[in-house]
Amino acid sequence: MKPKEKRDRRDFVRGASAVLIGGAVLSAARNRSPRLVWQIDPEKCTQCGRCATHCVLAPSAVKCFHSYSICGYCDLCGGYLRPDAKSRNTGAENQLCPTAAIKRTYIEEPYFQYTIDEDLCIGCGICAEGCDVFGNGSMYLQVKHDLCVNCNECAIAHACPSDAFERVPASEPYLLKSDRERRIS
Amino acid sequence: MKTVTKNWAWFICIMVLILGAGIYLGQSRRTELGKGFDYSLDEYRQVDPSLIHYTEVEPLVPTLEKISALAVAPDGKIYVGGEDAVQRFPDAGTFPIVGIPTCMAVDDDGTVFLGMQDHVEIRSKAWKKTVWMAPGGKAYLTSIVVEDEYVYVADAGNRRVWRYDRAGGEPLEIGKKDSANGVRGFNIPSPYFDVDLGPDGSLWAVNPGYHALENYRSDGVPISSWKRSGFTIEGFSGCCNPSHFALMPDGAFVTAEKGLPRVKIHNQDGSLRCVVAAPNQFDEGVVGLDVAVDDEGRIYVLDPSRNQVRTFEEKK
Repeated sequence: MKPKEKRDRRDFVRGASAVLIGGAVLSAARNRSPRLVWQIDPEKCTQCGRCATHCVLAPSAVKCFHSYSICGYCDLCGGYLRPDAKSRNTGAENQLCPTAAIKRTYIEEPYFQYTIDEDLCIGCGICAEGCDVFGNGSMYLQVKHDLCVNCNECAIAHACPSDAFERVPASEPYLLKSDRERRIS
Repeated sequence: MKTVTKNWAWFICIMVLILGAGIYLGQSRRTELGKGFDYSLDEYRQVDPSLIHYTEVEPLVPTLEKISALAVAPDGKIYVGGEDAVQRFPDAGTFPIVGIPTCMAVDDDGTVFLGMQDHVEIRSKAWKKTVWMAPGGKAYLTSIVVEDEYVYVADAGNRRVWRYDRAGGEPLEIGKKDSANGVRGFNIPSPYFDVDLGPDGSLWAVNPGYHALENYRSDGVPISSWKRSGFTIEGFSGCCNPSHFALMPDGAFVTAEKGLPRVKIHNQDGSLRCVVAAPNQFDEGVVGLDVAVDDEGRIYVLDPSRNQVRTFEEKK
């Protein structure tokens, strides 16, 4: 074999090794950086309604969450009843949720439990607004990660007027009010 | 025109059309929500000016941060509690404490009773401290009133009013559900639970989950009650209202609400007498509007969002 040919092969092996090693190092580094997903900070959310209209999915991947540890189980729930409700019952004309996604269940006098039907919820946040104004803020919006397709440029985050959307680690994908309370306490 | 140029022109036209259609369809999906999704309380923020019988005068401006407790002493002095201190008006004397009081009362001899979430701190005139612990592990004290014999303490955490002797000791429990004796229990969805004394010395307590004010004998036996629900100015709205109240010398009720912040006066039977301050006189979202009344009928409203004690006098 001629010396020039020998050198060429050596150079090729060196180059290929460098590419392989570099790739492996980059890949390892990428695996170590946490995967991030979109989530709504409930403290910043102003329930503007854009979560319902700007998600690439229809209905939106944003849903109402209910923190039972914060809820007062009120008969006169501000998240369930319209401000001008004629009476406190399950009549459609009294319900604040336009899609009737909140279910009201009697527990004992005078307490009621409110549960969210995710299939009906479109993430408009009107219940969260009512609960925030008159109740304890136990109803709030979160991105549901079994529905979210995790777009790189989240359309809702782009439209959010209060900058409430943020990237969080996929290992802790929710910003729950009850968890926050537990951490504070 | 050459065929190649023609083809390019067609290609560009088609791409522009596709892009335009895409933008149109994309934007048409992002329409605003309809009228059914509007949540507006504007209608309820408006108050008929003829109902407002009070006018706002110069507020008291404490030098404390995070004001949270208000009391009018029998001698007419105003006490304001905030972060790490209590301030007295009009002399602006400041007395140190540790923490932020949740409620306060002052008796005839100037002793100050401070609710500090789970215990009562009693400060003598010389500011010497005595402590009474509230029973139960989840105490959250929200109001105190003092009379000659007893000290009543509202505990939103345990949903009880504790009646202490003036010397302290084991308190008597008021408000435990007892259907046989007509006690339905206090429904307190959030930490707003106020008490005061009527002109006859009996205890009045707000039952916010029912929009009711309830009158009790000193042994906890219920005497009477009234309630008013509704978003209109005659009633109380949302949960946990009235959040605060105070009794006037004639037995009328000065009430303050959260959610739709407004201060009103209700007659002894619960009917609306007049409005003291309308919702548009407060910052949106303000909570914790504690109220107090002095012997001359002046109404004091603790406004945490402005860190002031706002003062209202009846219009001449």
